[in-house]
Amino acid sequence: MHIMDLAQNSLAAGATRVEVRIEESLAEDRLTIEISDNGRGIPAEMIPRVTDPFVTSRKARAVGLGLPLFKNAAESCGGGMEVHSETGRGTKVLAWFRLDHIDRAPLGNIGETMGILITGNPSVDFLYEHLVDGKSYRLETPEMREALGAVPLSDPAVLEFVRGDIEEGLRKIGAGTFPRFARLLQ
Amino acid sequence: MKLKEIAERLGWELKTPQVPLETEVKTGYASDLLSDVLAHSIEGDIWVTRQTHLNIVAIAVMRELAGILLVSGAEPDADTVAKALEKSVPIFRTSLPAFEAVGRLYQIGISGKR
Repeated sequence: MHIMDLAQNSLAAGATRVEVRIEESLAEDRLTIEISDNGRGIPAEMIPRVTDPFVTSRKARAVGLGLPLFKNAAESCGGGMEVHSETGRGTKVLAWFRLDHIDRAPLGNIGETMGILITGNPSVDFLYEHLVDGKSYRLETPEMREALGAVPLSDPAVLEFVRGDIEEGLRKIGAGTFPRFARLLQ
Repeated sequence: MKLKEIAERLGWELKTPQVPLETEVKTGYASDLLSDVLAHSIEGDIWVTRQTHLNIVAIAVMRELAGILLVSGAEPDADTVAKALEKSVPIFRTSLPAFEAVGRLYQIGISGKR
């Protein structure tokens, strides 16, 4: 959903490492999504403006509509969003949602998203981590690069692998559930 | 009008072939916000939406809706179809956008009366 947009922001900011962390806590009825990078960062005075969709100056537009829409989605689901950034060091976007909120969009096809990001940007390091009540899944491209040897990360087979591995990994840890809906559909 | 006749007259594609379409339909509701549908739909409505994920089936079951019409050519997710078959919730698809789809429903006598 929003992850592709925000990772694109990170890449546009010259990031060489992008980390995506998702945590689902059924006990706390909370979903958190964190995207952090080591890109050039956002100047402190710009931070309040990046979530304002009506700011249309060229500079503000450099970050696109991803952040205002992400913020709106989180706030519509009993959550919120924060942007932390330091010029020259990177940016961290943190959003939280009520996991069981009726209007929360499903996570979507994260395997596909990560696969496209990884194969499309083979020189960038990506980390994807997903936690569900203590169970975890993790995929990291520096490790993959080593294991692949001469095969580049841009190889189409890598897209297939990432997609399949994330899909299976998320199924194993029971990711992406809507407890209330699941009960209704039993 | 029976759901089956509505679907035939408006040329909808049925995505849940085994589900019976004998329900008598008089009213409909259009919205993509699940909480809004939960609050404002009434039993027997045909629900017009662009949402395709599994949770739409839960809403249809909860509100006892007659069926779901997916607009703008949206395809339901595979698990959505599987669950709809299990719960006997008819899902249809049209290439028309919501505004046009609702207009055609209105023309054949399906209203949004609450």
